[in-house]
Amino acid sequence: MPPVSEPVKAPVPTIEKDTRSKDQFAPTYYVVCWNDPVNLMVYVTHVFMKIFGWERQKAEKHMMEVHEKGKSVLVRENAEKAEFYVHQLQGYKLQATMEPAE
Amino acid sequence: MKLVKQDSRGCQYQLSSQEAKSLRLLVDQFPVAEQLPVKISKSDPEALEREKLLNESLADHREKLKQQSAALVEPGKFKTSGKHQVFRISQEKREVMLQILNDIRVESWRALGEPEDLENCAVNLPQDKFKYYYFMYQAGYFQYHFLNVEGQAGEN
Repeated sequence: MPPVSEPVKAPVPTIEKDTRSKDQFAPTYYVVCWNDPVNLMVYVTHVFMKIFGWERQKAEKHMMEVHEKGKSVLVRENAEKAEFYVHQLQGYKLQATMEPAE
Repeated sequence: MKLVKQDSRGCQYQLSSQEAKSLRLLVDQFPVAEQLPVKISKSDPEALEREKLLNESLADHREKLKQQSAALVEPGKFKTSGKHQVFRISQEKREVMLQILNDIRVESWRALGEPEDLENCAVNLPQDKFKYYYFMYQAGYFQYHFLNVEGQAGEN
């Protein structure tokens, strides 16, 4: 009787568990504020500080970007948070939208 | 109009009698124009449901502002001090005031057809639209002074 060799066990591939949260796969959005001629610059700065809790310097940087370039990307967030920020900004009457991030 | 005192409870402003009267009249008339629908996205074609929710939420928000507007400028909020009126407002109510004033300013601008040139948009304005021009400037004047607490100025 020929010797029966031990069956060769195929190596089990090690699949590392994906530790990324579900949110990391969800689409993200840019919250964009658009320029208009009617909102006062000081008001726009005030609203950014109020909503995002930014220091004046950061809020003014974004306000100037809106003023000079026509728009500023304020934050990148998941859909729910982006929508929340747009509601807040629009509640203050700023022209804000959420745009799908690439 | 100028800020005379600021503490943890709020701000105190000194206004002329004419300014106090104008502020009361302006806030009493809120909302001055119909709220036009807004877009939630410029590039996402699937945002219609979100847009509907946004516009409903803004309508609710405006209604809440309306409920608070009369109390902000009721006669008891103004105290006579010599030739002036003193107006005290808490930080929380100042936020509400700023939102009401900006709603008046922005919706008046929209009612004027969203002109790019605010300085000259009154030229050849139809009689029935002139009130919006007046509201827009009045609201901006008071916003500027309420925000001047933080030592900033300008127009976007």
